[in-house]
Amino acid sequence: MPVRESEAIILRTYPLGEGDRLVSFLSRAEGRVRGVARGARKPKSRFGASLEPLSHVRIWFYERETRQLVRISQCELIESFLEAQRSYNANVAFGLIAEISEAVLPEREPSDPAFRLLLATCRAIQSRGSIALPIGYFTLWTVRLGGWLPSLDHCAACGRDLAGQPGWANTEGSGVFCRQCRPPGSRPFSAEALATARTMLRGSLEKLAAAGTRVPDELTNYWMDLIEQHIERKLTVRSMLELAP
Amino acid sequence: MPDFAAPVSRLIEELKHLPGIGQKTAQRLAFYLLRADREQALALADAIRAAKETVHQCSICNNLTDVDPCLYCTGSGRNRRTICVVEEATNILPIEKTRQYNGLYHVLGGALSPLQGIGPEQLQIKSLLERLKTGAVEEIIIATNPTAEGEATAMYLSKLLKPLGVRVTRIATGIPVGSELEYADEVTMLKAMEGRHEL
Repeated sequence: MPVRESEAIILRTYPLGEGDRLVSFLSRAEGRVRGVARGARKPKSRFGASLEPLSHVRIWFYERETRQLVRISQCELIESFLEAQRSYNANVAFGLIAEISEAVLPEREPSDPAFRLLLATCRAIQSRGSIALPIGYFTLWTVRLGGWLPSLDHCAACGRDLAGQPGWANTEGSGVFCRQCRPPGSRPFSAEALATARTMLRGSLEKLAAAGTRVPDELTNYWMDLIEQHIERKLTVRSMLELAP
Repeated sequence: MPDFAAPVSRLIEELKHLPGIGQKTAQRLAFYLLRADREQALALADAIRAAKETVHQCSICNNLTDVDPCLYCTGSGRNRRTICVVEEATNILPIEKTRQYNGLYHVLGGALSPLQGIGPEQLQIKSLLERLKTGAVEEIIIATNPTAEGEATAMYLSKLLKPLGVRVTRIATGIPVGSELEYADEVTMLKAMEGRHEL
C-alpha cells in the first residue's frame, strides 16, 4: 500500500461514524477521489482546518485492497479560502463550484485544466468579493472543458458569421443560431452577450476582472442549464444563488 | 427461499436505516437482540417508543425536551440576558459541562450549507429574532462550529443581530488544550493569534 502524495482541492466532506470525515477531493494527479479521514471531526484532529471545503492542500493517501475509498493519512494546507467563505454570497458561490466539480468530473480521471480552473475561481472569489464574474467564467469553462459548448462564432444551421449579431440558442445546447435559422422556443442572446462570452474564452480570469468585465445573467444561466442537462439533475446550490442578496 | 424469517428481515431492514449501520452490522445487531433476554430487547423497544412519543422541540429555544418549555428556558437560576446560539441540541451538553455558562440557549437546527440546500429559511432564525423583541437580551454568543458552514452562519447572524442593538460575540477558536503548537496548521494558528487576550 504505497502512500501517494498529490496537490488537491477539497470539494466536499460528509460526517462519517463517530468522528471521521468522508472527503471528496480533486487531486491534480489522480482526478476526483473519495477517501476517509479518521478522527477529522475531533478537536485535536491532525487535519486541523485543511479539510474545509475548497481548501488547496497537499494530501497523502493510500489505497486499500477491496476498498473503494482511500485512507487519507496526512493533509497540509497550501491555501485556505475559509476566511472568504464567511460571507454568505461567497459561501454560496464556493458551494456552487464545488457541487458542479463533483457532479461533472468523473472519478479517477486527472484533469489539470479543471484543477486550474477551480483554483483560479476560488482565488477570484476571495480577492474580488463579487461572485458574478467568477461564477460566469467557471460555468463557461466547465461547459467548454466538458465538450458541450456550441460554437459562438457561426450559426449552427447556415454557418453565417455571428460577429456583431445577436444569436439564439436552443435548449438542447446543440448550437447558436442566427435570426433566420432560430428554432422555435430558443432563447435570445444579445450581440454584446455573445461578444462577452467570446472574450471570456480568450482571456484569463485575472485579466477579465482587471478589465471590469461584466457577465450577463443570461449567459451564466445558459451555461448552468447545459451543465444540468448533462448531469441530468438540478444543481442544489443554484436556487440559493438566485436568492442570494 | 428467503435468507431470514420475515420478522428478522424486517428488523435488519429497520436497523439499516440508522446512520453508520450497513447490512453486516444490522445483521449482527439483529441476532444480538434475538439472543438477548426478552426484557432487555423489549426495554430497548420501549425506550425508543417513549423517546419518540415524549421528546419534542422546546417551543422557545428548539432544544429537544420532554417538557415544554425546556428546563434551560424555565430554570430560575439562568441568566436571561444572554443567549448562546448553537447548531444542534447536542452542542448544548459540552457548554453545560464547563459549568461556567448559565444563560439561555437557542438551537438553530443546523448551519447554512448551500451544498445541502440549507439556507437562512431552513434555520430557526426567525424565532431567535422573536426572542429579542422583549429587549431583555443583552448578549448573543454565537457558538456554531468553527467550520466554513459554521463561520458563514455566524457572520450571517451577526449582520442580522447587530443592528438590533444587542452585543454579538463569537466563541474563541484556535489551539486545543493539550495539543502542541508544532502541529497546528496556519489557519488554526491565525485564529489563535487573532483571539489572543491580555494576561
